[in-house]
Amino acid sequence: MQALKILVVDDDPVTRSLLSKKLLKADYEVETAENGVQAVRMISSHFFDVVLTDLKMPGGVDGIGVLESAKENNLKTEVVLITAHGSIDNAITAMKKGAVDYLEKPINFDELFLRLEKIQNLKHLLKNANDLREAMEVTEQTSGETIQNLEMTVAELESRLEKVRGILSRQDLTAEQRIIKAIEC
Amino acid sequence: MVLNATANNPSGLGSPSLKQPLPIGSIRKNQQIKPDEVQLLSKYIYAISGIHIEATKAYLLETRLGRLVETLGCSSYGEFYHRVKSDSSKLLEKKVIDAITTNETLFFRDANPFELLRYKIIPEVIDSRASEALNKPIRIWSAACSTGQEVFSIAIVLKELLGPSKNYNIQLLGTDLSDAAIKQASYGAYNKFEIERGLPKNQLQRYFVSAGGTWKIKDDIRSMATFRKFNLMHPFAAIGKFDIIFCRNVAIYFTLDDRKKLFSKIADALEPNGFLIIGSTESLTGVCPRFIPKRHLKSIFYQLR
Repeated sequence: MQALKILVVDDDPVTRSLLSKKLLKADYEVETAENGVQAVRMISSHFFDVVLTDLKMPGGVDGIGVLESAKENNLKTEVVLITAHGSIDNAITAMKKGAVDYLEKPINFDELFLRLEKIQNLKHLLKNANDLREAMEVTEQTSGETIQNLEMTVAELESRLEKVRGILSRQDLTAEQRIIKAIEC
Repeated sequence: MVLNATANNPSGLGSPSLKQPLPIGSIRKNQQIKPDEVQLLSKYIYAISGIHIEATKAYLLETRLGRLVETLGCSSYGEFYHRVKSDSSKLLEKKVIDAITTNETLFFRDANPFELLRYKIIPEVIDSRASEALNKPIRIWSAACSTGQEVFSIAIVLKELLGPSKNYNIQLLGTDLSDAAIKQASYGAYNKFEIERGLPKNQLQRYFVSAGGTWKIKDDIRSMATFRKFNLMHPFAAIGKFDIIFCRNVAIYFTLDDRKKLFSKIADALEPNGFLIIGSTESLTGVCPRFIPKRHLKSIFYQLR
């Protein structure tokens, strides 16, 4: 399975570098942004599997702004919010706007890795489901073409048969003429 | 304050049927359905929905009804059957229908029919209307509309083709057997898994509004369609005549005999020069001789002889 590509967004350099180091050590692919504005710019040009963002950030774009931009850009990007202790209301607002999860400060790294594992599993399941669906679509398309060709062929043969039947029942022609005309159909 | 608390303490649920705490991530072993129960339930499902479940596909009953059987706390499928049958409110019957019907649907599922609609059918229907009474509505019916994706895909095609002008009187009807499906279709909201596939991003942004993790079809598209519950096994008398009928991937669940009856009723419900579109892997050969298949590019549609 390919490692998740994670964008860490936090205006606090200490948290940012700690998160980045821990995630890199755990074999995730990591990039960082110093604030919401930079994050939004990065999200719009590169795909990230997960965006791990602080909720409160200066500079006009906070965690919710990052969440909205990520979701607008690609629905497959999952966003985990990092919130201050005791700010569950904010977290719930974020979840309602499509965040997959939230973490409280101070960050418990075991908890963070558990969340990421869950996201990875979910993405894996979704990929499986999508692969299956695509395989089904290919099968459906090819069998559809076959069935439709057969349908047209049968309809054409039926109409020819109808004509032959009409000719063979004509009384104004001799038996020989009927056969000749029928063969022409 | 952990959101994903793996609380798995059934004692708190007060359900006597859950005797053992479940190991996390495991699925409770389903009750096995017995052959006589298969017969009983298949017959019942056929009666309420027309859906024919062969004895060899008994597993479908388990996978689709298993959850309902367990949430009702029934100890067997036989008991479940009697519970459902004796429920005079018909609430359980609705739940059975919701569970047994397949809601596999996508926006623009299989692009061909929608191309066909855009470049061939709608222009032709409009042309033929020009010579008739103009105010006679163009009627379109999605006969098994599930959660509405097909109907809204049609509506989007109409909108893009005809613009906002009110010059055309179009009636777009979606019907389905499942109350839950009709409810969702009427509400017109979809989660990210339903929206992610089939719908290009520009159309998503143009025709939907994002509302808390779901996407809701915009009012101008929603208002083009009407939804209602309808059982295709029942007479069509009250439903009127249509210029275009979509009946895709539903007859496959019926017996050949019922398919014949269904398409004969559809033939009656179609205007003389109307169009019928069925699923890409479906065929009317040996089902309804009143229709002839016609090809347009990569698609096939049917018209009355």
